[in-house]
Amino acid sequence: MKTLVLGIGNLLLKDEGVGIHAIRALEKETLPPDIDLLDGGTGGLHLLGRLQEYDRIILVDATLDHHPPGAIRHIRPRYATDYPPLMSAHEIGLRDMIEAMILCGHHPEVDLLVVSAGDIGELGVELSPAVEASLPEIIRRIRLLIRN
Amino acid sequence: MSERIVVDPVTRIEGHLRIEAEIEDGRVKDAFSSGTMVRGIETIVNGRDPRDAWAFVGRVCGVCTSTHSLCSVRAVENALGIVVPPSAELVRNLMIATLYMHDHVVHFYHLHALDWVDVVSSLKADPAAAARLAQSLSPWPKSSEGYFAAIQSRIGRFVGSGQLGIFSNGYWGHPAYKLRPEQNLVAVAHYLEALEWQKEVVKIHTVFGGKNPHPNFVVGGMPCSINLHEPNAINSERLAFVKQKLDEAKTFIEQVYIPDLLLIAEAYKEDWSRIGGGISNYLSYGDFPMAEYGDVGNYLMPRGIVLGRDLSRVHPVDAHSPDQIKEYIYHSWYAYQEGDQAGLHPFKGETRLNYTGPKPPYTHLDTGDKYSWIKTPRWKDEPMEVGPLARMIVAYAAGKEPQKSLIDDTLKKLNLPLEALYSTLGRTAARALETLLTADWALDIFDKLMENLRYGDSRMVNHTLWSPKLWPDEARGVGLSEAPRGALAHFVVIKDRQVGNYQMVVPSTWNASPRDAQGVLSAYESALIHTPVHDPEQPLEILRTIHSFDPCLACAVHLYDEEGKYVHQIDTF
Repeated sequence: MKTLVLGIGNLLLKDEGVGIHAIRALEKETLPPDIDLLDGGTGGLHLLGRLQEYDRIILVDATLDHHPPGAIRHIRPRYATDYPPLMSAHEIGLRDMIEAMILCGHHPEVDLLVVSAGDIGELGVELSPAVEASLPEIIRRIRLLIRN
Repeated sequence: MSERIVVDPVTRIEGHLRIEAEIEDGRVKDAFSSGTMVRGIETIVNGRDPRDAWAFVGRVCGVCTSTHSLCSVRAVENALGIVVPPSAELVRNLMIATLYMHDHVVHFYHLHALDWVDVVSSLKADPAAAARLAQSLSPWPKSSEGYFAAIQSRIGRFVGSGQLGIFSNGYWGHPAYKLRPEQNLVAVAHYLEALEWQKEVVKIHTVFGGKNPHPNFVVGGMPCSINLHEPNAINSERLAFVKQKLDEAKTFIEQVYIPDLLLIAEAYKEDWSRIGGGISNYLSYGDFPMAEYGDVGNYLMPRGIVLGRDLSRVHPVDAHSPDQIKEYIYHSWYAYQEGDQAGLHPFKGETRLNYTGPKPPYTHLDTGDKYSWIKTPRWKDEPMEVGPLARMIVAYAAGKEPQKSLIDDTLKKLNLPLEALYSTLGRTAARALETLLTADWALDIFDKLMENLRYGDSRMVNHTLWSPKLWPDEARGVGLSEAPRGALAHFVVIKDRQVGNYQMVVPSTWNASPRDAQGVLSAYESALIHTPVHDPEQPLEILRTIHSFDPCLACAVHLYDEEGKYVHQIDTF
C-alpha cells in the first residue's frame, strides 16, 4: 500500500507549522520504501494530483482546541465535514482538497494526526517548547500508523 | 432608508475578507472592505542572509508561493546589481506562466464560476441538448450525450448526499442566475474537468523548481541543472514532458476555458458589463522579461499606469521613488510614529499593531474609524486597481500586441464597446484572455529556451556576486512582478550583509484596502457602489464583483476552536 506522510501548515507561525516540522524530522530518518514524505505547505488544490497517487495518507496538522499544547489526537475522517477545524491557512484548504478528491473519484484513506497548538500569537519559525517536546511522540505515532 | 448587510467571511476566496455594505433601494450605496493581512514579514527575515529570504517569504502563501519567492530574489538581485543568465530568466518565465495558467483556471472554475452557474439547475438539463450545445461551442472531444448524462448523475449523487460543501453552500435558484440548464451542465462538467487538468499543469513547477508546493529559487538564477543528455539533470526527456504539459494547457484553455467565458459573457453582458467598474486608475509593474529583468522594454506585459481611463497616455512608475508609492493607515489598525495622516514608502515601512476595533463578537465595524488590517497604498496619492484587467488596460493603452487585438476581437465578438472592459465582467474576461496569451507565450518561451540550450547556453546561475564580501555595506532593492492577482512588490534593505528591513506590498493590499484619509475608496469598495442586490439575505451580486478581483488574503491564518467558532486570526505580513 503506497502511503504518503503529509505535513500541512504555515512555517512562519510557530506551532502552526508543526506538520512541516514533523516532515523535516522524518526526512532525517530511515523509512520503509513504500513511504513518501511531503511538505505540503498551507495546502490547496495544487496538492490534489500528488495526493491521489496514494492509497493512504497520514496527515499531520495543527489545531487550536481545548487540549494542552502538544496534545496529539488521531482521527479517521470519512467525509470532508468530519474534519475538525484545522489551522490551515486557506479558505480553499484541506477540506476543499478532500472534497475535490471525492469529486475526482479517488479518495485515499486518511489518518489525521492533529496537534494542539500553544503559541500562535506571534510570527516566528520555531515551535513553542511544549509542541517542540511533543515532536518525538508525533514521530512515534506516525511510525505506528505506518506499521499498521 | 438604508440597511447594512455583512458578508463575513466572503466564501470561495483565498483567505479571510469581510464586506459591510449599505443597501438602499436595492443597490449598494456604500461599502467597506475589511481584511486580515497583518504585516510583519520583517520580524521573520530581519537579520537573516538576504540570499535565504526567498525561502521564508515563499511561505506566506501556499498559492502564490513561487511569485513571492521570485519577487524576493529579484529584490536582492536589484539591490546587489546581479544580472540573471538569459536561460534562467526564461525558466523563471515558464514558472510564472505555469502559475498564471493554473491560478486563473482554478479561479474561474472553482472560485468564480458558481457565481454565474447554477449547479442545481444543471440537474434539469437534457444531456442530448447539452451535447449539441457543447459541440457548437468548441471542438473539445468530451461532448457526447452519454458523457453529459454520466456527469449529471454524478452531480446528482453529490448534491443529494449533502456531504460536499462545494455544492451545498450556493445560492441555487437565485433569480440573478441566467444560464439555461444545458449551459449550466456544460459548465459544471468543465468544473470537474478543470480539477483533473490542474493536477497536470503544476507538474511543470516540480520539474524546474525541484518541488511543489514551494518550489526552489536562488539569487542569481534558477537552482536547476539543464543538460539535454544527462540522465540526472533536466534532460530532453523531462523537457519533452514540459512541452507536452504546455501543449495540453493551451488546448484546454482554447477549447474549454475561453468558450465557457464567452458563454457566460454572452448571457450576462447586458447588466454585468456595466456593473462593478469602480476606480478608474490601473497599475501594472509588467512581467515576462524576454531579455534582462532590468530591460523593461522587453517585457511581454508592459509596465505603467493608466489614470482616469485615459488610454492615450501610459504614466511611468518608479517603485524606488519615495514620492510615488506610499502606504497609509488612517483606516487601518496600525500606528505610525509620524501619526495617522502620514504615508510611508515601503523602504521606511513600519508595522506597529494598534487594534481599536470592537471586541468580538460584534455586529458592525466602526467604519468611521479604523476598520481593517490592510494598509492603504497609493501611487502619488491616487488609488490603483491591479490585476489582469489593469494589465490588459495598460497594455491596450501602450498599443501592445497581441493584447490590443485580442481585446478588440473579443469585444467585437460580444458586440460590446470598449467601456465594457470597466466592469465586473470585464475583469473576469481580462483574466481569461490573459490566460490564453500566457499559454501561447509559454510555448514561445519554451522554444526560445530550447534554442539557447541547443546553442550550448544552459547557464542557470550568475555566481559572480554570491559572496557577501563583495557586497556594499548598505544596499536597497525592489523586486517587482505581476502575480496572477496583480502588481506585487518586495522591498529589501540590506545592511551589514543582513536583511535590515523587508516589506511586501501585495496585490490585494491595493484592491482590498480601506478608503484613505480623504475618503477616496480603494478598488473593492468602489466597485461595489451601485451594485444591485436583489435579496440582502443572498448577496450573490456582491460575491460576483468581489470574486472578479480574485481576492487573495491567504497570507492570513484563521484560527477556529473545536466547534468551528472563530477565535482569533493572525497573518504573516
